[in-house]
Formats: sequence, C-alpha cells, structure tokens
Amino acid sequence: MLYPRPPGPMIASGPTDLARSPSRPVSRPAPFPRGECAIKASSSSSRADRAPAGAPAVELHGITKRFPGVVANHDIDITVHRGTVHALVGENGAGKSTLMKILYGMQKPDEGTITVDGEQVSFAGPGDAIARGIGMVHQHFMLADNLTVLENVVLGAEKRHGIAGRARARIREISDAYGLAVRPDVLVEELGVADRQRVEILKVLYRGARTLILDEPTAVLVPQEVDALFDNLRELKAEGLTVIFISHKLGEVLSVADDITVIRRGTTVGAVKPDGVTRKELAELMVGSELPSPETRESTVTEVPALTVEGLSLTATDPDGVVRTVLDGVTFTIHQGEVLGIAGVEGNGQAELVEAVMGMRTPDGGTVVLDGEDITTAPTRRRRENGIGYIPEDRHRHGLLLEAPLWENRILGHVTEPPNSRRGLLDIKSARADTRRIVQEYDVRTPGIEVTAASLSGGNQQKLIVGREMSHHPKLLIAAHPTRGVDVGAQAQIWDQIRTARREGLAVLLISADLDELIGLSDTLRVMFRGRLVADADPAAITPEELGSAMTGAAGGHLGTDAPATPPMSQAPPAPGVPAARAASGAGAGAAPAASPEGPAAATDDPAGAPAPGPAAPGNRREGDA
Amino acid sequence: MRRVTKIAAAGMASAALILTTAACGESSTESGGKEKGVGLAFDVGGRDDHSFNESAARGVDKAKDELGVEAKLMTAKNNETEADREQRLSSLAEAGYNPVIGVGFSYGKSIEKVAKQFPDTTFGVVDSVSEGKNVDSMVFSEHEGSYLAGVAAALKSKSGKVGFIGGVNNALIQKFEAGFVQGAKDTKKDIEVVPEYLYPNNDKGFNDPGAAKAKAKGMLDRGIDVIYTAAGQSGAGSIEAVAAKKGAWAIGVDSDQYQQPGLAKYKDAILTSVVKNVDVAVFDLIKSVKDGKPLTGVNAYTLKEDGVSLATSGGFIDDLRKEIDAAKEKIAGGEITVDEQPKR
Amino acid sequence: MSTAPPASGASGPAPAPGAPERQAPRGPRSAIDWGRVGLGLAAPLLAIVAALVITSLIFLSTGDDPFRAFAVMADYGVKSDSQIVIVNKAVPYFLSALAVAIGFRMNLFNIGVDGQYRIAAFFAAAVGGALALPGIVQIPVIMIVAMMVGAVWAGIAGLLKTTRGVSEVISTIMLNAIAAAVIGYFLQDGRLAVRDGNIIHTEPIPESAHFFEIPTGQAPVNGFLVVAVVVGVLYWFLLNRTRFGFDLRTVGRSESAAHAGGVGVGRMVVTSMLLSGAVAGLVGMPTLLGESYNYGTDFPAGIGFTGIAIALLGRNHPVGMALGALLWGFLERTGGRLEFEGYAQEIVGVMQGVIVLCVVVAYELVRRYGLRTQQRKVGERLAAEARNNGKTEKAEVSA
Repeated sequence: MLYPRPPGPMIASGPTDLARSPSRPVSRPAPFPRGECAIKASSSSSRADRAPAGAPAVELHGITKRFPGVVANHDIDITVHRGTVHALVGENGAGKSTLMKILYGMQKPDEGTITVDGEQVSFAGPGDAIARGIGMVHQHFMLADNLTVLENVVLGAEKRHGIAGRARARIREISDAYGLAVRPDVLVEELGVADRQRVEILKVLYRGARTLILDEPTAVLVPQEVDALFDNLRELKAEGLTVIFISHKLGEVLSVADDITVIRRGTTVGAVKPDGVTRKELAELMVGSELPSPETRESTVTEVPALTVEGLSLTATDPDGVVRTVLDGVTFTIHQGEVLGIAGVEGNGQAELVEAVMGMRTPDGGTVVLDGEDITTAPTRRRRENGIGYIPEDRHRHGLLLEAPLWENRILGHVTEPPNSRRGLLDIKSARADTRRIVQEYDVRTPGIEVTAASLSGGNQQKLIVGREMSHHPKLLIAAHPTRGVDVGAQAQIWDQIRTARREGLAVLLISADLDELIGLSDTLRVMFRGRLVADADPAAITPEELGSAMTGAAGGHLGTDAPATPPMSQAPPAPGVPAARAASGAGAGAAPAASPEGPAAATDDPAGAPAPGPAAPGNRREGDA
Repeated sequence: MRRVTKIAAAGMASAALILTTAACGESSTESGGKEKGVGLAFDVGGRDDHSFNESAARGVDKAKDELGVEAKLMTAKNNETEADREQRLSSLAEAGYNPVIGVGFSYGKSIEKVAKQFPDTTFGVVDSVSEGKNVDSMVFSEHEGSYLAGVAAALKSKSGKVGFIGGVNNALIQKFEAGFVQGAKDTKKDIEVVPEYLYPNNDKGFNDPGAAKAKAKGMLDRGIDVIYTAAGQSGAGSIEAVAAKKGAWAIGVDSDQYQQPGLAKYKDAILTSVVKNVDVAVFDLIKSVKDGKPLTGVNAYTLKEDGVSLATSGGFIDDLRKEIDAAKEKIAGGEITVDEQPKR
Repeated sequence: MSTAPPASGASGPAPAPGAPERQAPRGPRSAIDWGRVGLGLAAPLLAIVAALVITSLIFLSTGDDPFRAFAVMADYGVKSDSQIVIVNKAVPYFLSALAVAIGFRMNLFNIGVDGQYRIAAFFAAAVGGALALPGIVQIPVIMIVAMMVGAVWAGIAGLLKTTRGVSEVISTIMLNAIAAAVIGYFLQDGRLAVRDGNIIHTEPIPESAHFFEIPTGQAPVNGFLVVAVVVGVLYWFLLNRTRFGFDLRTVGRSESAAHAGGVGVGRMVVTSMLLSGAVAGLVGMPTLLGESYNYGTDFPAGIGFTGIAIALLGRNHPVGMALGALLWGFLERTGGRLEFEGYAQEIVGVMQGVIVLCVVVAYELVRRYGLRTQQRKVGERLAAEARNNGKTEKAEVSA
C-alpha cells in the first residue's frame, strides 16, 4: 500500500505523451494471427508446460461484455506472457473484476476470444478454467472457518491427492516451493488475513494452476503484509508461473509488475512497462484526465462544538458467549466546520462507534452531545431529525432499499422530515420532485426515478445517498467509507460536497480505509485501535506510513511530532506547504522501502489520492517538493 | 410494478363486474328434475370411513338392492361452512333426489334451512334433532351401546386400566364416553378409565387416523389394555396401534369393524364394536318414502329396539355373554339409566 | 448546503454527463409504459394459463374431460345465487388475507391468523351473548372485543419475537393450538356455552345486534362486505400513504436499512402484529354477526390458512387479494358442483394449490425478468455513454 520512494527526477510528461513515446510500448497485437491459434487448438490441456516459449500464457482479444448495472467491457485486448506478473489496473468500476470473471469462466463474453497457451478456449464455468491451469484468488476469501487448512485446500479437489497424508505432503511441498509458510493442520479461524490469503493461493496452486488471478489482493493487507505477498509473487514468477494482478494501487503495481495493462471505462487504454512510466502517468492513463484530490485547502474549523463524545464504551457478546469490549472510553469533539478522520484497520471499533453515535447500538457508558443537546439515549430517528446525516459503510445493507424505486429511497431515513411527509402522511409528490432534484444536482445517472436502486451502479447509488443526506442540512455528517467502490468521477463529487458543506459549518465524522482520503479531507485525525483512540495526528504533518504503523498499534500519543514544526493546518498556507512536511516525514519514516525503482511520489497508491494538480493549486506539488 | 399491478387489477375487477351483471337473474336452483332416488350427504371421512358413514352407505346399498332405487352420494370436506353444507343438500334436493339424507349432526342446521325451501322433499338427518315437518331426525342411544362396551372392556382388561379416545370433544362423542365410563365402573368398581380426545373442537378429529394412532400408542404405553375409540375414520389408526401390541384389545364403533375388509389385518385385536345401526334407520326412511308414507319427526333408535348393539363377530366376547345380556336387560327395563354426559 | 450543486468544474474526470442524462429523469412518466403494463399482466396470465394446463392434465390423467369440468364450473359459478354465495364466502377470506398481508409486508409470517380469529370470535360471541344493548352500541362493542382479543393473541407472538427472539412462525402455530384448547375449555355446557342437541355454542347474540344484510332478489349479501371494503381501503392507505406504512414496508424490504434509517424495528414488529391480529379479529365477524349469531362447535375453522394463500395470490395488494378471495369463493362454490357432476371434489383443492404455486412462481419469474431488463437498460445506457467517451479519450491518447 504505502511505499515511500527515494527522490527521483521530476516528471513533466503528460498523458498524451505517453502513448506516443516509442519507449513505452502500447503493445496490443497478438504475436501471430488469430487463425493460427485456432489451428493449434487441438492438443491436450497439459500442453501448458510444453507450450512454445513464445506463446503467451493468456491472451484476450476483443472481449466485449454487456453487463447490467455497471460499466460493460468492450474491445478488451490483453496479452499476458508466461512467467511474469501482469498487472491489470483501473479505477473502481472500470471493469477489471468483470474481465477476470470472464477469464475465470464465471461470465461468458458476448464477443471476443480467449486464448490460453496459444489455444483458443471457451469456458463454460470455473471448472474449465481450472482444467486449463487458471486459478483465481478472490477478493473475499472463500474459506470455511471451522475447517483446517488442509481440509479447506482439499475440499472439492479430493481426487487430486486424496484427503490425508498425500494431500498434506503435497501442501507442504507447494508451501516450501513458493515460500508460503502454510501449516496444513491449523484451523482457518485461527489465521490472520494474510495467512488466509496464502491459503487461498495455495488452494489454487494445489489444483494445478499455472496462471493465478489475484483480485485486489492487497486491499485487506497492512503494508508489511503487502511486502510479504509480493515476495511470494516473485517466488511464483521465478518458478515459471504467471500471475495476473488486479489493483488500482499504482505504487504496488509499479513495484511488482512486469507488464501493466490499463483499463478505463471498460476497455483497455494502454499496455506499458513499469520502468517506462511514472505513477502520475499511469494514474492519468487510468483516469483519463487530471486527477482529483481529496485535499482540503483552507481550514474552516470553528470553536463551536458540534458533536461531543465522552467516555463512550460498548461491549458486544460473541456468538459463543464471550463478552468483548469494542469501544473503550472513546472521547472526542468535532467542531462545526471540522472534519474528524478516524483511521484504523477495519474491525477495530470504527463501525461500532458510528453505530453508537447513530443510536443503532446502545452504549454501556459515556455521553453523546449533538449541538449542545444530550442525545445519548435518543433513538436513531430523533438523532436524524436533530441533524445527523449518515453515509453508511455498507450502502446495500444500511443505506438503500435495493428493490424500491429511487424516490422511495429518497424517503428512507427521513420519512418524518419535509418534503417527504406532512403530519403523518407521506407527501409522495414532493418526495418525487425532490428526488428528481437530487438526481439532477448530484448527477445521479439514471433513466428515471422509478427504477430500482439495485439497477444503479455503485457510484450512482452513493451519489443518491449523499444527495439525500445533504438535502436535510445536517449539523453532523457521518461518512463511513464514503467513496468505497465508487468511480473516480463520483469520488471527486463526493469529496467536493463534503468540502462545500464543511465550509458552511458542517461537522464531519469521517471513517475511511483510504489513508489519502483521510489525510486529505480531515482537519483532525485520530487513530483507533482495539476500540480505543490511541493516537492523534495532524493531517498536515503525518504520512500515510506513520498512520499505517499507528493503525497496527505500534505507535501512540501525538503522531508526526518528529516532523519539522509545521504550523497547524488552520494557519498553513495553501497546498505547497503541506506536501513538504509530508514528504519530509515520509522519508524519515523509512518503513521498508522495498522495491521502489522510480517515482518520487511520496505516499499514495490509490489513484484517487495520487498526486495531482487540484483545481485550486495546479502543479505537481509532491513531485515538485522532492 | 405496483402501479402496473393496480392497472391490471382494476381491469380484471371491472371485467368481473360486467360478468356479474350479465349473469344476474339466472339462478342455479331454477333447473331440476323429479324422482331420481336417494340423495345422501356424508360427513367428513366419506363413504369408506369403516365406521359411521359406511354404516349409512350400507343402508343405501340395501335399498338399492331391495327397493331398486338409485342413489347419489356426496361427501363433506374438512373446515366446511354452513353455506357449503346447504349447497350440497339443496343441489341434491333440487336435482330431484328424495329423500335427501344428511349423515352427521353437522347437517342439523342446514337440513332445517333447506327443508323449508323444498317442502315436497323428505329430508333425513342422522344424530341430530332438526325441526321441520318434512324432516326425519334419526337419533341413536350411543351411550347405551357404549355402556355395554364398558362392561366388556372392564371384564377383559388385565391391567385394570381401560381407555376411551374421542375424535372431537363434542356433545355427541361425550355420549359415547359417558356410557363407556359408566358401564366399566358399574362392572368393576376399582377400574381406571382414561378418556381422551383428539381435538377439542375441530372436525378433523374424525379423519385423522395418525393422531388416533399416536394417542392409542400413548395409552398402551401407560398400561391401558382395552381402548374404545369413537372417532369415525380416525378409529382405524387406533385399532392399528392396538393390534401391534399383544394382549391389548380395541373396541370399534358405529359399524362392526371386525367385518370390514379394510381392517381385516387387525381384526384379531377387535374385541367388539358398538354398532350404531344407521343402516337400519337409513333404510327405514328410504323405504317409507318409497311407500309414500315418509317418516318424519324424531325417531329414536335405542338399545331396546336394537338401534344400537354390541357386535359379536370373532367370538371374543362370547365368554362375557352372560354379563352383557344382564346389563342390556337392565337398561332396556329401565333399571339402569345411562348418562348422556360424562361426570367430571 | 444542498443549495450548491456539485460544481461540475470539480468533477474533472467525469466527462460532462451530457444533455441526455440531464433530461432523463422526466422520461418514463410522460406516457403509459406499455412494456411495464404488459409485464404486470404477464404474471397473473401466466399463472392462470399454467394452472389451467396443469389441472387439465390432472383431469385427463383420471380419465375425465377437463373442458366439460371447466364448463360446469363456469356455468354454475355465474348463476346469481352462486355469485351471492361467492361474495359472502369471499368476505372473511379477504379480511383474513389482509391480516396475513400486514405481516407479509414486513416479512412477518403470521400463521396464527387462524387461531386469532377463532379466539376473537369466540370471546366476542360470549360478550355479545351476555349483553343486551341497542344494536348501534352492541355491534361495535362486539367488533372491538374481537379486534382486541385478536390483537392480544397476535401481540403475544410479536412480544415473544422482540424480547425472546422466538420466530413468529413457531409461536403463532403454538398459539393456534392454544387458542383451540382455550376455546375447547370454555365452550362447554355450563362454562361460556349452552348445549343445543349435539352442538354446543355460546349464548346467541340478541337480534338487535345482527348485522345488516344487503337484500338481493334471492339470498341476501352479508353486510359485512362494506366493512371488508373499508378495511381494504384503510389497509392500502395506511401502507402506501402514511409514515407508519412506509416504516412498515421499509422493515419488510430491509431490516438493516430500516434500523439505520431510524425505524424501531422491535416496536414495529409488535405494532404490526397487533394490527394484523386486530384485522384477524374481524375475520369471524361476518359469520358471527350475519350468519350463525353464536360461536359453536360448528364455527368455521381454517380461514386463517386460506388467508395465507390469498395474500400470496393477491401479492399483498388489496385489489389483488379481493380478486383472490373471490376466486377462492368461486372455486369452492363450483367445486361442490363438480362433485355433483361426478368429479372428485378434491380436484378443487388441487386447483387451489396449483394456482397459488403458479402465481408465486410466475410473479417471481416476472419480477426477476423485470429487474434484469431494468438493470440491462440502465447498464446499456451507461455503457453506451462510456463507449462514446472511451472513443473520444482513445482518440486523445493517440492524437
């Protein structure tokens, strides 16, 4: 996730130079004509090992898929060479996952051809893909917690090496060969996220995969774990295996990939080599234009507290009866016009904190005061009426009625407030009219307000939610991962709306896993670890690396104090000063710079957070500092 | 979607309305013929309930053979309403069947109502007293027959515990219980009689053999070794359970269940049956109509005139003949009055 | 805050959405969307056709002529006296379906309508038999008692669900059995009932408390039809036009979203069970106040289960359920005739089952199809837009 890079030369080239430059091959054509592939397509599936060295491991040509709800794939061309790590990059919703599902046989393309080891194939299901030596490690692990690693691995592949001794030996063998360090007899529930991921990889290898697809493998890992994963990938590559690596984190891609294919809006827009491209170029290729920035520019923090939380504590009982403390004496204040960002590895109490503030959980102790009024015991509806807006973490579960039309979704959560109802009766006409207004003002792309929420893409769903919550003029906005799974365009709009509202005195409680978003938007940062706020930081003076290590519980207190005495954000001059401090401390943090061949960019991997000229402060700020 | 459903629904509703107005005026009761024979409506369980309905059917069969009349048989469903019963009876009457007989007291009210609409048809109802000058109410002294069953049960039981299973806890079935308990206690003072019902107030009790089987099994497990079941078709379940246990006896009801082909497998466990001679009553009515002197009013079929009796098939109670006959005499002679309602 | 539309200048990477999208929201409401009307009609038609085909096959397999059977049914069903019977039958069915539907709309499976209406009718009958007030007072008193008893009986299940987490399916089934036992206990000579031949029933309610009848040329139509229609309209209004109804439907669609949206899910469960039970309490009223005038051992049972089938059939929509109730009445009325004509009367039960099954399957198929086409439409729109943008951008790149 986070790779500080040594300073490098300043990059001046823009995206338009990229494709033209001969040094960055935008390679698309197949090594030989189509017909030839088809003729060769007669031998057995075991030809993977015997295939001519020149034949690419996987070749996709002209893939088109019309898929409901999200951006469709069209005219996709990708060539993946054997023994390489091939990165597939693109923003969220660009169609990467769909494409990989096509390659893995989970979706059938409407048009186009798939060629594996020089042989044109057609997959009826994942089984066919596995038979062809293609395996997939999903973003969400598919492991049974209550089984051992061995059992999970052999499950469904019992015929390969049995279910006992032989299988165990084979697992050890694979584990040793690629340095996966998997212990076959441990229960999966005892494993951490990174270990589980290695089990997933092993599972795929056990089934004889020669080409592995990894779908956003680093999304769930902390930086140190990412490094370990990349070491594993290099081992795989050294053994002649092929890895297709899906990501939107450019730093990672540049550090591990041999080839990069960029997908934008459902189609391939370029194929580049990592040593011939900079992060910025890559990012711009990915996004297609200049990048948005989450950074807030001037402080609007006032002295008036909007939300005061004191000593909030909460316990939860596990299914097996163990009482666990999920929130432990959480205390903070958000002032009007302030964005308070909470950083933390997921599952450290952020979700519970949000739910406690929303009134969806009853805390065991502590007080919540909104705008001078004690709402500790108020029900959720009262809190909403009193001015809390809520962008939930899981919009499908908490923010939308998927099978209801948009205008009913506009009423959701605000049924007691105008324009949705008057004296106990719904005002459907006004609600519809207001939905139309939201659709227009917030650029929700939909053919109408009668369509169900389920038929919109993630970004448009989120825009609708943001529009709905903002329409009630909240005093406090709780934004939990507001741009997760949202395309870049929507992301920029959502950030913009948060900024605009903040300027007008809105207090925001921001929870995000995207550290750049957190650092960029927040006025104040707190780090949450095991239910406690363990550290605070000045977003102007902290690097994602420091924040990342604090999130693992490694650091506490006030972070970023070793940085040069940076003036607080409220007094900081616009943009240029901020990255300076950031770059400096980033260099000082020295957290495993691993392989960072190029790129001066300080911190970010997420395209969203990638350095970019913001509208207010044009220029390559971060690069310029370095 | 909902909007669309609304449009569709409105369309269908108006279509239905048009249909309604178009058909107005013509009534289903305006057609009909004359003198088709006997119309008989069974209670739930149907003709082959091995019990009460079957007994009535025997009467009809006899009439067919001996009097040469035709017959139409219909059956009630579970959870019927008055309207359903009225419809059944009036469709028979209107088609020209005469007499029209409702088997079972649930027809009591509907017979009264329909009989008024068809004054020229003679109606018969079993087990109920219904008003109407063209209605023959056939009632039986089930309690007296059950008294004899109680005597037999008390004498046969080795464990000193006998059981009664009623299909539905209603007044009619309580008559069976009352007689049985009294007969048993009068025979052996210290005998333990366990009365239980399948359903408190659901007619399903008359055609739920599974429930009767479970109930009987429970009784057997508690050491009860003679079980008297008055539950229509459900009784077959109880008999099946009893037959599976050696040394236990079942007492049947309504028909001579020993003789029934459907129960042949278990007949060696059927001690006796309290026979309710519904067939006799039904035949009497059909004959009277055929002869042009239809029976009306309340016709009681008591132990005295063999309206109820104890079956002797299988010969299992031959050794008890003396005691049973003695009891019968006492009842017929008025020495013993059998209660119609259980003492609780 | 909301006054400021997102500055389009800031959304650099999102290429200008373009004019078509700006106008889009007005689209589908300007004219009747025939595609959707067709889709709405498709489900019931599909179900009816499928049900006819399946029952025909059953008739054929038993060697009967299905067309003659259908002709008998149609012929008998449209007779005027049949229509009166059908309407009278439909009234309690419709009320029962409404009671079930209130639960359905929030994903509660109130199987206990059967027990609720019976125990409600029993106590209402007992109260009605004991009082002798003017009809204008007594009828409402009887109805209110029934609704309250029904509500309490259903409310027990609601409370058990919210406080102890007991599934309402289990608890309402249990409560059905308990209701039957309670009625069985009190419906004894000397307790709350009197004996009348072989039937035991409560004291008859005085004549003044008999519900009015709508006279026709022949048998009267039960006046409770009016109450049923009013309750149907209230149901529609409550669910579709009030805040409470919105909350209720929200819980039904997504409990988690309702919770986050500020709906007290637990309270909603209890409230809707109370409502459902209150409506269930009315189910026995047409019979009690317009037909039997007492609650006896012969009081009709099982209407609560019929209500479940009709609620499914009518998709919880009042008009749909009204039609479903009439269809049920039609089938039962004509089923009796089928038996008379020599067909097995069980065929009607088979038909009812087949129709419900077909309707459920057909609606689900049509719903999925509709959702898919809608998603495809939206997807294609956005994909087409993306393709256009993609082309221009590719052009830029290679320029």
